[in-house]
Amino acid sequence: MGMFIVKRLGVTALVLLVTSMISFSLIHLAGDPAVAMAGERATPEQIETIRRLYGFDRPFHEQYLHWVGNVLEGNLGRSNYLKEEVAPILARHLPVTAQLGVLALAFALFVSIPLGVIAALRPNSLIDRAALVIAVTGQSMPSFLSSIALIFGFGVMLRWLPISGTGSFAHYILPAIALGYYASPAIMRLTRSGMIEVLQSDHVRTARAYGLSAWQMIVRHGLRHAIIPVVSVATVQFGYMLGGSVVVEAVFSMDGIGNLAWLSIRRYDVEVIQAILLIVAATYALLALAADLLNAVLDPRIRV
Amino acid sequence: MSTIANEQTNTPATPKPERVSSPGRLALRRALRHTGFWVGGVILAVILIAVLGAPLFTGSDPALQDLSHRLAPPVWHATGDWSHPLGTDHLGRDYLALLLYGGRISLLIGFLTIVLSSLIGVTLGVAAGYCGGTVDLVVNFILTVRLTLPVVLVALVAVAVLGQSLPLLVLVIGGLMWDRLVIVTRATTQQLARRDFITAARSIGSSMPRIFLRELLPNITAPLIVVCTLELARAILLESTLTFLGLGVQPPLTSWGLMVAEAKSQFLFRPWLIAIPGLSLALLILSINLLGDALRDVTAPDGKA
Repeated sequence: MGMFIVKRLGVTALVLLVTSMISFSLIHLAGDPAVAMAGERATPEQIETIRRLYGFDRPFHEQYLHWVGNVLEGNLGRSNYLKEEVAPILARHLPVTAQLGVLALAFALFVSIPLGVIAALRPNSLIDRAALVIAVTGQSMPSFLSSIALIFGFGVMLRWLPISGTGSFAHYILPAIALGYYASPAIMRLTRSGMIEVLQSDHVRTARAYGLSAWQMIVRHGLRHAIIPVVSVATVQFGYMLGGSVVVEAVFSMDGIGNLAWLSIRRYDVEVIQAILLIVAATYALLALAADLLNAVLDPRIRV
Repeated sequence: MSTIANEQTNTPATPKPERVSSPGRLALRRALRHTGFWVGGVILAVILIAVLGAPLFTGSDPALQDLSHRLAPPVWHATGDWSHPLGTDHLGRDYLALLLYGGRISLLIGFLTIVLSSLIGVTLGVAAGYCGGTVDLVVNFILTVRLTLPVVLVALVAVAVLGQSLPLLVLVIGGLMWDRLVIVTRATTQQLARRDFITAARSIGSSMPRIFLRELLPNITAPLIVVCTLELARAILLESTLTFLGLGVQPPLTSWGLMVAEAKSQFLFRPWLIAIPGLSLALLILSINLLGDALRDVTAPDGKA
C-alpha cells in the first residue's frame, strides 16, 4: 500500500508539472503578451517597459522556471488588469465556485443514485426507461441552455428564485441544478449497472434466501458494493465541474473562478489565467489521486 | 479478415441453433427493433435533410440584413406571416434561413473534429494496446495529462490566444477530445492482441501496418463507431459552449450556439429567438446520443448492454 501511494504521488506530481508547462506555453504561444497587455495606444517604450517588467524578453524556459519557482513560494503573480496580487483575488472567488461545485455534486448524487437504484431493481420497466430518458437528455443539454431554461422557468415565470449574483443560499440553487444535471447521467448509469451486477451475485441471492428485507438488501449488500466505482466517478466529476462552471457562472453572473477566468481571458490578464488553470488542474489531479487511493482502500484488488 | 463473431460461431463445440448471419446483418436486425435507434435516427435524418437541403426549404439569404423588418415574430404569433416563417433576428435576418445554414456550421465543425480526434485517439490507442510496455505507459501518461487539463478553460484560452477561425476551432476541439477514443481503442486492441489470429498474422511475418489494417481495424470498427458517434455529440456541445461564450464561431458565420448567444438579451420578450436554435441544438445532440447508445446496444457481443 505504501509503495502504491508513493507511486501515485510521483505520477501526480509529474502530471501537474507537464500540465503547468502546457498551460504556460499555451498562453505564451500568442507571440508577444506585452503588446496585448499594454493596450492599443501604447508607445514602443511602454511596451518595452512591460516586456522587461514581466520578463517577457528572457528565454522561454527561464520564464517558465521563474514562474514555477514563484508559485512554489506561494507567489502567484500580479494581475495586470485588476492591479492587485493574484492570490487574494483567487481567495475571493474560490469559495463561490467551491460552494457551487459541492451543491451541484450533492444535487447530482441526490438525483442519480436513487434513480439508478430504482432503475436497477426493475430493469426495462417504465421507471428504468424514464431514468434512461433523463440521463440521455441530461447529456444532450448544453449547460448554457439548461441555465437559460431554469432562469426562464423558476426565475422569470414562477419568480421563486433569484437568477443572478451570489447574495444568499437561494442564489446557488438554480446554478447548482444546471451544473449538477450535466454530471448526473454518468453517475446514474454507473449506479444502475453496478447495482444490476451486484443484485445478480451469489451473496445477494443467499441473503435474499435468508429472508432479508428488500430495503436491507439494497442498502447493506447492493449499494455498498455498487457505490465503489460511483465514488471515483463522482470525485472526478467534481473536478470537471470546477472547470465546467465557466458557463453556468457566466450565465448566472456569479463571481466564482469560472467567471473570473472568462473575464480574464477576454482582458488578456495572463497571470490570473495561469493561476486559475493551475489551480483547476491541481484540484482535478488531487481529486483523481484521492479517488484512486479511496478505491484502493475499498477494493484491495486494485493495489498493485 | 476474421471477425470475432465469426470465430465464435465457427467453433465446433457450439451447435448451430439458427442461421449464421454476419455481425453487420445481426446488428442491423437488432437495430430495427431498437426504439432509441429509430427515434435518434429519425430526428437526425430530419435535421440532416433540413440543414443540407437548406435552399429547398427557404428562399432567403441568411446573411441578408433588413433593418426595417427586424425582430419580426414567427408565423404562429398573431402578427407573424409566411414571408419569414420563424420571424427575423435583431438585424432583420430571416431566422429560418439562419437556422438552416447555421446548422451546417455546427455539423461541419462536429464532423471535422471527430476526424481529427479519431486520428489522434486511434493512433495512440492502438499503439498502447498493441505494443504495451513503455509505449503503453507513455500513452497512459499523455492521457492522464490531457484529462487533468480542464477542457472548456483550455479551449477558451487556446481560441483567445491563437485567434478565432473555423479551422482553428476544429483544431482546438479535436486536439482536446480524443481521450475516450484512446481509452476504448486501447482496451479493445489489448484484448485482440492476445488472440490467435493476431499471433498467426505475426508469425507469418505480416508487417505492422498490415496487421493494423487487415486484422485490428476490422475488429475495432464497431466500438470505434459507437465512441465516434457519442464524441460527435460532445464535440457539437463543446463548440456551442465556446461559441456561446463568445470565443467560437464568429459573425458573419453563424451556428446554433451563436444564435442563442445573440438572442440572450431578447429572451424575456421574444423567448422563441432562444428556444428555436436552443431546441434544435438539444435535439441534434440528443439524436446523436440516442443513436450512439443504440449502436452500442446492437453491436454488443451478448446483444444487450
